[in-house]
Formats: sequence, structure tokens, C-alpha cells
Amino acid sequence: MFPKRFYAAWFGIHFLLITAVCFAGLFSLIAEGATMLPSALEPYARKAEVAAAWLLGKEAPAPSPLRQGIATYLHAAGIQAGYTFFAPNVPGYHRLTLELFYDDGHVEHESPHLRSKAAGLRLDSLLDRLAEQSYKPIREVIVKRLAFSVWRQHPDVKKIRAVFGSVTPPGLAQFERGEAETFQPIFSFDFSLRDDHGEGQ
Amino acid sequence: MIMAKGNELRDKSETASLFALRSFLDFLFPSENDRWLSVLRFGLGLQTVVYALFLRSDWHYLFASSGKGLVGREVGEAIASFDSPLIPKLSWLIALGRSVNMSEEAVLSVASACLLCAGCFLLLGLFCRPAAIVAWFLHLCAAESGGLLAYGADNFMTPALFYLMLSPLPDRYAFDQWVVNPKPKNPQLLGFWRRVLQVHLCFVYFIGGLAKCLGNGWWNGSNLWRSLIRPPFSLVSPDILVRFKYALPALGISICLLEVSYPVFIWMKKTRRIWLVCIWRCTLP
Repeated sequence: MFPKRFYAAWFGIHFLLITAVCFAGLFSLIAEGATMLPSALEPYARKAEVAAAWLLGKEAPAPSPLRQGIATYLHAAGIQAGYTFFAPNVPGYHRLTLELFYDDGHVEHESPHLRSKAAGLRLDSLLDRLAEQSYKPIREVIVKRLAFSVWRQHPDVKKIRAVFGSVTPPGLAQFERGEAETFQPIFSFDFSLRDDHGEGQ
Repeated sequence: MIMAKGNELRDKSETASLFALRSFLDFLFPSENDRWLSVLRFGLGLQTVVYALFLRSDWHYLFASSGKGLVGREVGEAIASFDSPLIPKLSWLIALGRSVNMSEEAVLSVASACLLCAGCFLLLGLFCRPAAIVAWFLHLCAAESGGLLAYGADNFMTPALFYLMLSPLPDRYAFDQWVVNPKPKNPQLLGFWRRVLQVHLCFVYFIGGLAKCLGNGWWNGSNLWRSLIRPPFSLVSPDILVRFKYALPALGISICLLEVSYPVFIWMKKTRRIWLVCIWRCTLP
């Protein structure tokens, strides 16, 4: 015989954590005003999100063994993220264009790329993440590294201007009128590579 | 008189809670054979092989340290370490390799080869448990080190490998079964792990459906349009989609309702097949 109570307890805790992760994500969407629910609900959603985060130990201090233990378990079990794919609405996608300035004055346009399509999907995923507010502090570092990966293939480049923006595909009615997708720049950085020095704009 | 009534009520509530607990345990531990486990092992073996093969050409570029790779694995690992320093990462393996004078490139190559081998072993059913543990660990290290580059498929592969690793392997179609002839598996334990997978899928679809219901774009069809013209899912020409524009709102609402009602209708024998086919169609491009 196997210890049924042990398995049942694990089941309860495991799915309690999944519930907390999923609802934290859902409440976060409501609190950010990303849903069609009335804005009056946003403060309550924020409180509910904090409650779900408390259940996940995120309110405890960073070095707390409880917090680290829960986080390790969530990552090990692959349940650290919710399942709100393409929800509540389908976002646009993002593009990073690199303008390569050469010594002789000519300019080329390039994008970071990978060999396989499977890895290309991952790059798209990274670009979509960069647009999120929570990734703002590391944007410059990531874009600098992406620019550097392109510079390694073009060592003669003097300066790289990285322009990151969101691409909004046309709506159905816009498509029928013949309109194309639009590109909205979000931020740009200039990197001068000869002296290995980056400047943010 | 009043005390007797009180005792009667208490007995009734105790009986009800015992009944609920027994029903819950019956639900958690049904008797099952291991055919589902064979399907899971084979499917995940195939998935692991495909994952390792498709990323083979970019493996070093994705997971090398900064200065050699695309963005360098340090940023992803720092984000994971912020959650907990105990989360496995490729840097652990690289540090281990350094202690025996192995270069970073060599360790990454070995990790990729081991992941491919673990997938092949899972496919064949050879050394099932060690293969499942190795596949889970290496995939987790890659998913965490390349956390910034992770996408939806990783969110499903890690838990699936986690459950496979804990399930009562080997199954009857595994090569291990012929070689070592292990003890017969407890059918209730097999049933428990199947329930875990089933309940997890209910969470996936219910939460996904609920979140979609909160977006107005799923009710007027615009989200379906956007999802179908968005690269890399743009397999149908927008010109063809325009012809079916009046069907888009109905299809969008159907997706929301299908997903949110999955935890109810997937358990009913009469509706199970319909829901399974419809959900399967929705997830295919």
C-alpha cells in the first residue's frame, strides 16, 4: 500500500499553488485595466493580487527560506506562470531594427536573427517581453547585447542605433480599406562600438 | 432534548464530511492501467527529441555567456536567481565542468547531447526513470537560463516532464519492462497521476478561457482575426479570413466558452469526445 494521505496532501498543496499563480495573473490583468471589467474593480483586484502573492510567499523578505522554497518548487514543477495566453486580448508584436552606421557614412538596416525557426520564435518572445513595463530596467542591457550580437558579424560598424517598437496589425475593417500594419517606436538607443560605450536615449 | 438534537446534527455533519472526504479520495485514486503512461512517455520522449534537434543549431548561441551568445544566459539566470538561488541553471553544469577542466562550449554540447539521448531513451522506454529525471533537469536548466527567450511550449514541457518523472515508471510497453521485469504497479497510484494530469489541464483551459472572456476582442471576433494574421500563426491568408468575417465573433465566443467549460464537459462521457476534438482543433494552427 502507498501513503494515500501523503499523495492527497501533495495534490492539495500543488493545486493550491497553481490556483494562486493563475489568479494572481488574472487579478493583475484586471488591476492593470487590461480587461473589459469596470475600472472600479481595479483596487479590489490589486488587493486580491497581493493576497495571491502572499500565498506564494512573495510578501516575505527575499532571503526567507519559505519564499525561496516555494519559488524553487514552482519553477521545478513548471507552474510559476499562469495560462493567460492570448488573453484577455491578443497583443501586437514587436520589432527591433538596428541601423548600422559605417565609417564611410553608409547605413545598413539589420535585425538580430537566429538560424532555426524554433529559435526565432524565442527571439520574438524576448522582444514581446521587452515591451512589458516590468522589463523596463533591463531593456538597455538586453538591447545592447542584441546589438552586440549583430556587431560581431559587422565589426566595421562605427555606431548602432537600435529602434524598438510595437507593430500593430490592421483590424479587419482597416484591412478591407487596404491599410497595412503600423509601427510605433517605443524607445531607441545609440551604441557607439569603437569605445565599447553605450548611450541611452 | 436540545442536547440530543445537537448531537444528531453533529453526527450528520461528521457523516457528510466523511462522505465528502471518501468521495474526494475515490476521485483522486481511481484504478487505472498504465496505457496512458505509455502515451505520455512516448509523447514526451518525442517532444524532447524534437526540442533538442530543433535548437541544436542555435543551442550555443542561445545559452553561451555574454559576448559569445545572443543576449548571454546571465540575465535570464539573474532573474531566476532573484526568485530563488536554488533554481537549477546551466551555470551549475558549467561550473561543474570547469572543475574537471571542461570548457563552457564542451559542457553545453554535452548538455544538448544528453537531452537528446534522454529523449531517445524515453521514446524507447529504456532506463525510463533516470531518462525522465535527466530530461526534466536539463530542460529546466535550459528553460531557466534562457528564461527571457522562453515561450508557451516551455510552460507545458516542464510540468509534463515533472509529472512523468514522478509517475510510476516503467509502463508495460517500455523496454525496461522486458529487461528487469519490475513489480506490478498499484492501479490506484497510476490513477492518481492520471488525475493530476487531468486536473492540471482543467486549470489550464479554465484559466485561459476565463481570461479570454474578460477581453472584449474575443466577443467581437477582433482577437481571433489578430491571432490568425499575427506571425508566425498567419497560416491562412487574410483575404480568405475576410470572407468569413461574420463567423469570427461566433468563433471567438465559442473558443471562450469551450475553454471555460472544459472542466465540466470533459468529465461527462457524452460530451468528452466533442470537447476534446474542439479543444484540439483550437490549439492547432
